[in-house]
Amino acid sequence: MKILSKNGNELLLLAMKEDSAAKGDYLLIEDRSRSMVVQVYDEEYLSSQALVEDIVKEEVVNASSMENLHDPLNIGSLSRLVRDARVFRAKIRASVNDGKLSSDVTWLPSRVESRIRRIAMKELSSLLGRYGVFAIPIGRAGREEEFEIYAEDLDGKLSVITGKKESGKSHLSKMLIKTLVQYGAFVIVFDLNNEYGGLGWSCDGVPSSIHQQVKILEPGKTLRFTLNYCGKTAISGMLRNALDMPAASLREFLRIWDWCESKQSLSIDSIGNAVNTWNINELVRDALVSRYHVIQSSRLFTNGEGSLQFEDIISGNSGAAMIINMGEISPTVRRMVVELVLSKIVDLLEHKKIPPIFLFAEEAHIYVRDTYWEDIITRMRHFGIYTTFITNQPDALSDGIYRQVDNIFLFNFTNDNDLDKISKVSLADNDTIRSIVRTLPQRHCLAIGKAVCDLPVVIKVAAAEILTLGETKKFFTKK
Amino acid sequence: MINQKALFSDNILSLRDLDIGESVSKCLAPKLDVLKGKKIVFCYDDKKMMPVDGWGMRSNPYSETTITTIRPIKENALVAAIDSSSIKLAETEDGSLYGIKCGVATAYAGHTLMHFKIGPGLFYLSEKTVHESELEERLSRLVLLDDDLAKRLIRVRVERAVQKEIATNFTNSIILVDGSLKASIFEERGCRISKISESSVLRKNMLVGISKSTKLKALDRAAAPLTKVPGPAYIEVEDIIKSLIRNTIGSNLMVKLEKGTSSPILRADIVGDVRQSLGKLLGNDVVAGGYPETLRLAHHISTFTSIEVTCLRSHILNSYDVTELAAEDIRRTLLGSIPV
Repeated sequence: MKILSKNGNELLLLAMKEDSAAKGDYLLIEDRSRSMVVQVYDEEYLSSQALVEDIVKEEVVNASSMENLHDPLNIGSLSRLVRDARVFRAKIRASVNDGKLSSDVTWLPSRVESRIRRIAMKELSSLLGRYGVFAIPIGRAGREEEFEIYAEDLDGKLSVITGKKESGKSHLSKMLIKTLVQYGAFVIVFDLNNEYGGLGWSCDGVPSSIHQQVKILEPGKTLRFTLNYCGKTAISGMLRNALDMPAASLREFLRIWDWCESKQSLSIDSIGNAVNTWNINELVRDALVSRYHVIQSSRLFTNGEGSLQFEDIISGNSGAAMIINMGEISPTVRRMVVELVLSKIVDLLEHKKIPPIFLFAEEAHIYVRDTYWEDIITRMRHFGIYTTFITNQPDALSDGIYRQVDNIFLFNFTNDNDLDKISKVSLADNDTIRSIVRTLPQRHCLAIGKAVCDLPVVIKVAAAEILTLGETKKFFTKK
Repeated sequence: MINQKALFSDNILSLRDLDIGESVSKCLAPKLDVLKGKKIVFCYDDKKMMPVDGWGMRSNPYSETTITTIRPIKENALVAAIDSSSIKLAETEDGSLYGIKCGVATAYAGHTLMHFKIGPGLFYLSEKTVHESELEERLSRLVLLDDDLAKRLIRVRVERAVQKEIATNFTNSIILVDGSLKASIFEERGCRISKISESSVLRKNMLVGISKSTKLKALDRAAAPLTKVPGPAYIEVEDIIKSLIRNTIGSNLMVKLEKGTSSPILRADIVGDVRQSLGKLLGNDVVAGGYPETLRLAHHISTFTSIEVTCLRSHILNSYDVTELAAEDIRRTLLGSIPV
């Protein structure tokens, strides 16, 4: 390979047929004592007017008549070599000074003297000083080299996993959750398709290594709270944000709550009785009654029997995955569940009753409003909730969220609007995103951010050893 | 005599003082008055331009020449067209290196059959190598001085070699040659056009030389009546050619190979029966745009592309232990360029 030209932070590299590099590969350009790290983001043919004319001419001639060659100097093979020559477009990522990566890329490597070679992921990691204690092997990168990120890179961070439908997002998130739990972390999953329950099982139906640590929480069944446990703040938050209760009605509800609490009879039934007998405006009563019926029909609250306390699950050091199945509940109940869970978790974290929590939210825009998520993101990372959003609609997350994001795992997108959105807000440059993401095969992702020390890496996500649930139900089944 | 000091101090030097204008106007009479009433075709980049509808009957002093129409003969025969091109690739202290490509395209029963690409090949011409080429002393010195002559030498030698092989190996075929059938000073003794012509006759081949253009203006005018003929036709111009050029072979004609008044008129030299040759050519080759497809194909496969030139340079550097020196375009360096 040879350097052809430089434009901004982009190098054009001339490659012959035997020089191979894939999109996303890192190359090291060594020029005497200095080196430069570049990443290939696109590949095209070496093309000139003369070359195109040559190819067209030959095709036209050969289409009209059969060719017989007498080429004593074998110039034809050289000519074919030129026609197959390619140009790699590469972005300059860093330079290497004293064995360490540096952002000083103000020098230009020699076109004549420079030697260009592929750089192995291990070598790159060593240059980056990318080490950790809790490795999460997520697949292969470069030339089938094992690649791992570290749990520390997700700890205290905001991550986004995005890509089009069936590109492998859930697969990666399950892998992350499983490894985090194995390392003793506590994970809450808002599971929209009831598919994360498979974490407790291997693909062959045998209990998985985290079988005991996977807790499936079904709203109204295994996910029920007492009003006392939730507290006034969580309930009022649920009424305001999930059930859109007006301020006047909320005030009356809080008065009823205080009255029931003072009588030491705080229960769904006592609140229901109070709502019916309380001396209030009829319109307010109507508002309270309608919300009361929603709360009651959600079966999220109990007077004590079978109630859940997060502290009970998050007590040992063994880690746990709390999968909140939201696939079969109404949108209103979904919002109530999310509101209650988040409020309670924040409360527990504030009082230091539980360690920090990892939260995985699938298609979060469906059950929480945009502005609310921004608030959650801004505040909750300080409390100790480290969120990972999983979505196939990158534009469903607001720019405010993207601005705070630490890691993005980008799966394939072909839609221009999605690519536009992602390239505008992501941590890598537009050219890299557009070119690499568009052609990513299934279960391949481009990792960007802290997890890869801000050097984008294409990863082939490893096959999951987890039971696949939540598959699309089909009428026509293949025999 | 003008006083130089006075001239420069007063800054009054003009062409009139030097009489340059008068001297130039007398060196050759412009005779522009003779232009009056003439038909004119402008020239571009030394290319031969032809009036689309000919020069017109009025300008043709040979308008009474007989026009013979050509009928395609549907008798299967192989058509083999030969063309070549040569380029100068490099220079050394005592010689020059040339590249050559030759193409042979064949057609049969109205369809193109196959083509042969020969080369690229390399020839190094220096005093020593030219001496061994049977050229006479004066000519070999000329070849070393003039690149165009050197390229023609290589082209003629290679083309004749190919023509000879085809003429001696094929029978009942039409051998199409790009250009006129004229003996060249560069021919090798064993491969003269006369010998090729003899071999063709012996093997019942027909040798046809077709020129895309001619420098003989008299031929253009003589061929003018052909533009008015609707179909393929020819006019014999042997008298004109033989009076102007020596060493030509066969019958000399101006031909139109395609229907329509816009079809170009080409010079053709034919060894063999004229009607048979042209009839079989039309019956077995495709004529598009008034030119035989095989000759067109032979031309295209024998021309050098810029990629081939690059590859040849690379081959020379890698294979012959030569050292490339930095070089510059001396005209450009000395004269510079003014972009307009």
